[in-house]
Amino acid sequence: MTNDPHDDAIEALLRRQFAGAVPDDGFCERVMRRLPPRRRRRTWPVWVGMLAGGALCGASLLPLPLLRAGWQDWLHGDWSVSALALLSAIACMSLLALGWAWAELHDR
Amino acid sequence: MVDRVAEARIDQALVARALLGSDPRAFEQLLRRHQGMVRAQLRRLTRGDEAVADDLAQETFLLAWRKLDQFRGEARFSTWLYRIAYACFLQRLRKPSWPVEAGGEGELEQLAAPSQPVDLQLDVERAMQGLSVAEQTVLLHCVQLGLSHEEAAYVLAMPLGTVKTHAMRGKAKLRSRLAAWREMASEEPT
Repeated sequence: MTNDPHDDAIEALLRRQFAGAVPDDGFCERVMRRLPPRRRRRTWPVWVGMLAGGALCGASLLPLPLLRAGWQDWLHGDWSVSALALLSAIACMSLLALGWAWAELHDR
Repeated sequence: MVDRVAEARIDQALVARALLGSDPRAFEQLLRRHQGMVRAQLRRLTRGDEAVADDLAQETFLLAWRKLDQFRGEARFSTWLYRIAYACFLQRLRKPSWPVEAGGEGELEQLAAPSQPVDLQLDVERAMQGLSVAEQTVLLHCVQLGLSHEEAAYVLAMPLGTVKTHAMRGKAKLRSRLAAWREMASEEPT
């Protein structure tokens, strides 16, 4: 708002003319009586989506030779380039998920 | 300002409680905290039609209850409610049964100052009715309901610049229409 004294005077007049908050007079009770029961949000579509996404992702990535080699090297304790690449990819994904979860938490 | 922040925190906590346990009592507290101003907003918008305003207020709170999980705290809870209330009002306005009252765009001439100062309130009312609907609505939200220009823009779904222009023009018109009162006040001996 501006600090113009004429504006201040007009604003003061308008505020004075405004009746302000309306007293309850049973309004809240009437609304509460009409309040429908809250529907619980269904969580199963999220879980089904996550599982299907994970399965599809796994199915499309498993045939990759780099991934298979990295996995096998890792299982044998051999820190080859492919095993390190695989671990780095997992670490990056975990960090991304952590960042996302953190942002969501702050939005709430 | 601190009060506003504290009030907003209380609202946020109540919303969280209402959402987590689907707790109607938390929502009832929110309702009791905000019904007065939402009904006042709607009474002004409906030009004092208390029955229609209360009907719309009821619709507003039922909608707020249904859509509570969509409130993400980007605006204050009261501002969010004003936005729903204004949307309900606009929807009702589009119904053919609603009595359409044309918002005069500047056809009201400067009001003569009456001799009784009590008439000032009546003249302010008349001067307000002479403003365009958009100017009246913006002044209601920015001045009478105490919202910032940004909050009014959010409630009315208007660009910020448009809100500022309507507020400025509305006040300028009121100033010129109520000039007689100012002249009289300045002539009065102190």
